[in-house]
Amino acid sequence: MFREAAARMTLAVILLGLPVGIIGYRYVLEPTLNAESIFEVQAYAPERGGFSPAAIRVDAGEQVTLRFTSMDVTHGVAIGPGLDINLGHIDPGEQRQISLTFDEPGTYTYYCTTWCSPDHWRMRGIIEVRDPQNNNAASQIQPDPVIERLIEEGIDIDAVHTGSADHEDNILFELTSAARGSELIDSVVVPDELREIDWLRTHTPAESLTILSALNTSHSEAELRDVIAYLWTANSTYTADTVQTYNQNCAACHGESGNAEGLAAALTAEEPAAFGDPAYMFSMRPDVLYAKIRRGGMGTDMPNFGTLFTREETWALVDYLWSLAFEPELNE
Amino acid sequence: MLDQKRHVDLLTTFPSLKRLLRSRSFQPGMMLLTLFVFTLVILTGLFGTPVGSRNFGIIFVWIVWWGLLIIMLVPFLGRFWCSICPIPAPGEWLQRRNIITKRLPKLRTLNKRWPRQLKNMWLQNFGFLGVALFSVIILTRPQVSAWLLLSFILLGVVLSVFYKNRVFCRYVCPVGGFIGLYSMVSPLEVRVNDPNVCLTHTSKDCVTGNEYGYGCPWMVYPGKLNRNIDCGMCMECLKTCPKNNIALNMRPFGTDLTIQKEHRLDEAYKAFIMLACALVYSVVLLGPWGELKNAANMQSIPHWLVYATSFLTFVLVLVPSVFGAFSAASWLLMKRTLPLRQVFIDFAYTLVPMGLAAWVAFSLGFVLVNGSYALSVLSDPFGWGWNLFNTVDVPWVPAAPQLIAFLQTGVLVAGLLFSVQTGYKIAREQMKLHRKAFAVMLPNSVFLILVTLAFMWLYLG
Repeated sequence: MFREAAARMTLAVILLGLPVGIIGYRYVLEPTLNAESIFEVQAYAPERGGFSPAAIRVDAGEQVTLRFTSMDVTHGVAIGPGLDINLGHIDPGEQRQISLTFDEPGTYTYYCTTWCSPDHWRMRGIIEVRDPQNNNAASQIQPDPVIERLIEEGIDIDAVHTGSADHEDNILFELTSAARGSELIDSVVVPDELREIDWLRTHTPAESLTILSALNTSHSEAELRDVIAYLWTANSTYTADTVQTYNQNCAACHGESGNAEGLAAALTAEEPAAFGDPAYMFSMRPDVLYAKIRRGGMGTDMPNFGTLFTREETWALVDYLWSLAFEPELNE
Repeated sequence: MLDQKRHVDLLTTFPSLKRLLRSRSFQPGMMLLTLFVFTLVILTGLFGTPVGSRNFGIIFVWIVWWGLLIIMLVPFLGRFWCSICPIPAPGEWLQRRNIITKRLPKLRTLNKRWPRQLKNMWLQNFGFLGVALFSVIILTRPQVSAWLLLSFILLGVVLSVFYKNRVFCRYVCPVGGFIGLYSMVSPLEVRVNDPNVCLTHTSKDCVTGNEYGYGCPWMVYPGKLNRNIDCGMCMECLKTCPKNNIALNMRPFGTDLTIQKEHRLDEAYKAFIMLACALVYSVVLLGPWGELKNAANMQSIPHWLVYATSFLTFVLVLVPSVFGAFSAASWLLMKRTLPLRQVFIDFAYTLVPMGLAAWVAFSLGFVLVNGSYALSVLSDPFGWGWNLFNTVDVPWVPAAPQLIAFLQTGVLVAGLLFSVQTGYKIAREQMKLHRKAFAVMLPNSVFLILVTLAFMWLYLG
C-alpha cells in the first residue's frame, strides 16, 4: 500500500510537478526575482529569417541581458551606434551574451559582423530604447547635416565615379605616397584652406591638385599628388577599432586592402568601389563617401550603415579609406 | 526442451536477480525513472533552446539513449529497453488503475478487438518509414522531437483506452518494431524451462493473470515462445507462473533467426527497411553531400519530395528487388525445391545481424563524436544559462576519433560473418546436405559482401 502511494506520488511529481515547477520558475518566478530583463535572440542566416526577434523594446535605465545564439552558421554580433559592443564570432549552437543599460532613449541596432550569406548585410535587429517617463514618445530620427548639405548642393551621391581611364595615369597614381608627401610639404605652397578639415571634407583631391599646380609650377604633378595624399591623411581619426569595423563590415566586398576584390565582390549588383586605388579616390569627396556609408548606395548593393555607426565612427572610416589609397605601406 | 549445454538460466544462477525481477516494484520503478527523463526531454524540447547541440532532449534521446539502445541494449539484452520504456507506462497504469500492486482482476479498457489484418509488423514498418522520412528534422529540432515523442505517449494512452494490453508496443511503436527484430540476435531470452509443464497446466496463469500479476501484456503464450521478437521482457510471466517454469536464459547470439516456420514477409521487410535506412542515413547524415542533406532537411519542399520518393523507392523497391534477384539465384541453385517466396523471406533474416551491425557502425560514427555534448547539456538542459553540475563549459571533444573507422570496420565484418553463418544455417535447414546448402547460400553471401563493402566505402571512403 505504501509502495503504491509512493509510486503515485512520484508519478504526480513527474507529470505535474516537474512541468509546473520548471515552467513556473522560468516564466513567473525568475522574472519576478530578477530585475534584469533577458532577451533571447536567435541568429539565423538572413534567408532563414535573420535575427529572431528582429526588434526589442527596453526602457532607458533598465538593465537588460541580450543572449545571442547562432542557429545555423557562424555569425558575429555587434551593437551600435556608439556603444563599442562587439561580441565576436558565435559558432553554430554557441551563445554569447551581454548585460548592459541604455542610458538614453533612442534606437540601436544589433547586426551580424561575419559574412554568413550573400544577404549577410540584411542581418540586423533594432533595439528601441523608450523613455520610461513617456512611453508614447517616439524616437526622432535626426537628419544628417552632411547629407542635407550635399542634397542642397545638388550633389548626386550615387553618381558613378571612376578613376582615370588612362593606363599610364593609373600607373603614376599607384605610386602616390603620403609618406613622400610629408617630406615635400614644407617645400610646397599650400593655401591655408587646403589644410582645413572642413575644406578637405567637401572637395576632391583632384580639385586641390588644380590649385596646387597653379601655385607650385616647379613641382611635378607626381610630387604634388604625394603632397595631397599627405594632406588627406595627416589628420586621420581612425583607430584599430576603425580597421576592425572596416574589415568586418566592408572588406567582404571592397577587400581588406581596398582592392574591390572581397569574397562577395562578384555577387554585388555593381562593382564595389576600390578605395585602395588612388586614381579612383582622387575623384572622390570625403563627404560623399561619408554619405554613401551612412545612407547606402542606391542601385548598388551597398547597404546603409547610418544606424550602425555614429557620425564620428563614420568619419573615422572615411579617413581609413584615404589611408588605404595613399598609404600603400599599410598593405605591405 | 532446451539445449541445456548452450543455455544458462540466469534466474537459477543468480537467485537475487530472480527476486528482483519477481518484485512488483522493479519494473514500475525503472519506468518512473525513465518517465522522469522522458518528461524532461519533452519539456526541454518544447521550452528549451532550439539549438540541438545545446538541448538536453536532442542530446539525451538521439545520442545518449540511441547509443545505449543500439550499441549496448539491443545487441546484448534484446528487448530489455521495452520493459522499462516510459512511453507505454501511463497507458498501462491507466488500464491497471494502479502502478505497482495488482488491484483489479481485469484490465479497464473498452475491450475493442485489434484488427486481425494489423496483427503483424506492417504498421511498425510504415510508422518507422514515416519517422525516417523526417529524421533529419526530428534529430536536429528539439521541438519536433518533443512533439513526436509526446504523440507516441498520447497514442499509447489512447490505444490503451480502447484495447487491452500493450497493443501500441506490439503492433504500432516504430521503435519497438526494430528492437523486436534485432532482439532475435541478442544472447538473452525469456523462455519456459519445460514446455510440457505448460501443456499440462490448465489454468495458464501467465495468460490469464492471477493475484501475483497480470496476463502477458504482450499477448504471448510463454509456453510456445520460441523467438524474442514478441516478448517485451516485462517478466509478468515470472510473477504469475505457479510452476516456477520461467527462465531467463543466456544463449548463443542469433538463436531465433533460423526458426524458419516463424519467418514472415512483414518481418523480412522490416529487415530490408532497417538495412536500407542505415545505408541512407550513412549517406545523408555522415556523407559529404550537402545538397542531399539540405533536401532531407526540407530546405525546399520540391527537393524534399524528390528525396522522399527516392528514399521510399530505394528502401521498399530497389533493395528488396536486388535482394530478390540474389534469392532467385539461390532458388535456381536449389532447383526450385521450395517456393521462391519462401526462399526470399528465409534469406531476408540473414540481413538481421548485418542490419544491426550497420546500425551499430553508423551510430558509433556520431555517438563517439558527439557524446561529449551530454556533459554540457546535463548542467544546462534547457540552454537557459544554468550550470547545475559545473559541466556546462566542458568542450566538445570527439571520443577516440582515430579509432572510429577501425571499430566500424570490425563491427561490419563481424556482422557480415554472422550473417553469412546465419545464411548457411538457413540453407542447411532447406537443403540438409552441406554441399548443396553451401551452393544455395552463395548468392546471399555475395549480396551481404556487397552491402558490407558499400558501408565500408561510406565509412572509410
